[in-house]
Amino acid sequence: MMRKLWIVFRKEVIDNLRDRRTLLTVLVFGPLFGPILYVGMMNVMTNKQLADLNQPLKLPVKGAQYAPNLVGYLKQHNTEIQPAPRDPEQAVKNGSADVVLVIPKDYAAAFRAGQPAVVQLVMDQSKDSAQKNINRARDLLQSYSQEIAALRLLARGVDPRAVAPLAVENLDISTPQSRAVLILGFVPYFFLFAAIIGAFYLAIDVTAGERERGSLEPLLTTAVSRSILISGKLAAVTLFSAVSLGLDVVALSWSQGLIPAAKLNIVVNFGWHTALAAFLLTVPFCLLIAALLTVVASFTRSYKEAQTWLSFIFILPMIPVFALIMFPVEPTLWMMWVPALSQDVLVTSVIKGAVLSGVFVTISVISTLALGLLLAWLAAWLYRRERVLG
Amino acid sequence: MITVHNISKHFGTVQALQSVDFTAADGHITGLLGPNGAGKSTTLRIISTVLKPDSGTVMVDGSNVLTDSMGARMQLGVLPHASGLYPRLTAIENIRYYGELNGLQGPALGKRSAELVELLEMQDFANRPAKGFSQGQRIKVALARVLVHRPKNVVLDEPTNGLDVMATRALRAIIRRVRDEGHSVLFSSHVMQEVAALCDDIIIIAHGRIVARGTPDEVRQQTGEMDLEEAFVKAVGESGVTP
Repeated sequence: MMRKLWIVFRKEVIDNLRDRRTLLTVLVFGPLFGPILYVGMMNVMTNKQLADLNQPLKLPVKGAQYAPNLVGYLKQHNTEIQPAPRDPEQAVKNGSADVVLVIPKDYAAAFRAGQPAVVQLVMDQSKDSAQKNINRARDLLQSYSQEIAALRLLARGVDPRAVAPLAVENLDISTPQSRAVLILGFVPYFFLFAAIIGAFYLAIDVTAGERERGSLEPLLTTAVSRSILISGKLAAVTLFSAVSLGLDVVALSWSQGLIPAAKLNIVVNFGWHTALAAFLLTVPFCLLIAALLTVVASFTRSYKEAQTWLSFIFILPMIPVFALIMFPVEPTLWMMWVPALSQDVLVTSVIKGAVLSGVFVTISVISTLALGLLLAWLAAWLYRRERVLG
Repeated sequence: MITVHNISKHFGTVQALQSVDFTAADGHITGLLGPNGAGKSTTLRIISTVLKPDSGTVMVDGSNVLTDSMGARMQLGVLPHASGLYPRLTAIENIRYYGELNGLQGPALGKRSAELVELLEMQDFANRPAKGFSQGQRIKVALARVLVHRPKNVVLDEPTNGLDVMATRALRAIIRRVRDEGHSVLFSSHVMQEVAALCDDIIIIAHGRIVARGTPDEVRQQTGEMDLEEAFVKAVGESGVTP
């Protein structure tokens, strides 16, 4: 029994190790996709944050000579006045400036007369990346306007506070850390992704591929029970899935050194202890996904058809991940009964450095393994039917 | 020895086999002859345990395919109609895999696969991956896979399909050799000449029923035709109706 299972398992492993596409997927694409995306996202975000915090606002001003006081005020408030482009609208349109301040010739006259002095901010509201600078410029002009208004009221003997019934204070508590959590939220998905893609081609090859090659029928006439055949195959698929997952965890742990976490004061706890815990928490999912992919592939008639159907399975673990990102809730017991969701929740907790509940871990592992075994049993049942020959 | 007891099988509304009953004796080559779609493959698939009959059963050397399918498979070497190899494994690895699945191991397995490489003249490509094999090379490997565990009963579904003259002759020589070792060989074909050249016993099947059986001479007598091909046509009947 065990010997035959081992024979089938070993053959599938050796056979598939010789397939370049499978190998590339299991050893390179699956494990590196997550870490590369992770490092890339982290770096872009970090650089943007740092740049915005430290750098003065670069503001091209047209007609600066008409309003020396205003320009002086801007300069005092961390603004770098730049010479205006010849055509401000064009400059904003082609992206060479986020926002341009235009001061008309009659500004001084209107200002002196106590009329509202018109200034123009040329901007493109639809451009997300310009939003921050647009807001900064608008806020500066607003506060200059209020300052002047206050001075004018004082000159007329009115307390400026009379026209400020509300004092709105913006307390922005968004920190680089809190944004980093958003990206960290994807890490469990990267793990699940690696587990799925590691199993993907193998699950097709041992089922639909075997049928398409015409090697299934002779295999079924050998002195091996179909349950043993499918168990050996499943074991091989699970192994490839686990290898892909393991490499992904290692790569992500190692890539931690590539992000400027220190600059952001982020405490991302991803040493080898965490990596090992994340791996052990996710590895039951490998059996589940191997069995699920095998069952689905067993229904299909060809390699191509199997690929199409199996692609949908990549979306499944995305659902709990996005649900958690959009509606963050504290881990609760029922979540542990849902595979993919439970791994997601537990791995997130581990990364945040939280202490895991033994009950949670036990339920997650047992429910995932139980569902995996159920699907494995279903796969064996599918192989006992006559229709398996297609 | 393979004994087929009165098997019937339907797929949906199609009655594929109806009360098929025959024996493939040890030391004999038995030819299952019939036009396309007559039920040859279905019969062989029931014998090789991948399909189950609706009624009746098959005994393979005392093992009932329904109650002891594993025992039956141990006594069987089967070359199905679709006999794909693993393209990334070499010829030898393909053969060894089946040897192991059928219980061979260690030096016995090595000796047996070397023997088959010799017997089937596969020396030139034994260690090459099966990916680029010609039809003749593929059938040799598939046949070696069938014979690796020295099965007492060999079932071949249209083994000469796609083979050239030389390869066909070589295959016949091998089939005779297996017979001479005392095994029972059951093979299907839709080519009369092939069956005539090789078989000790002929079973002609059409529309899921046996329409004639016996030695080539007996079949000639039954149909009153001296030429076997004429006998075949007559037995099958233009419209497929039993004469």
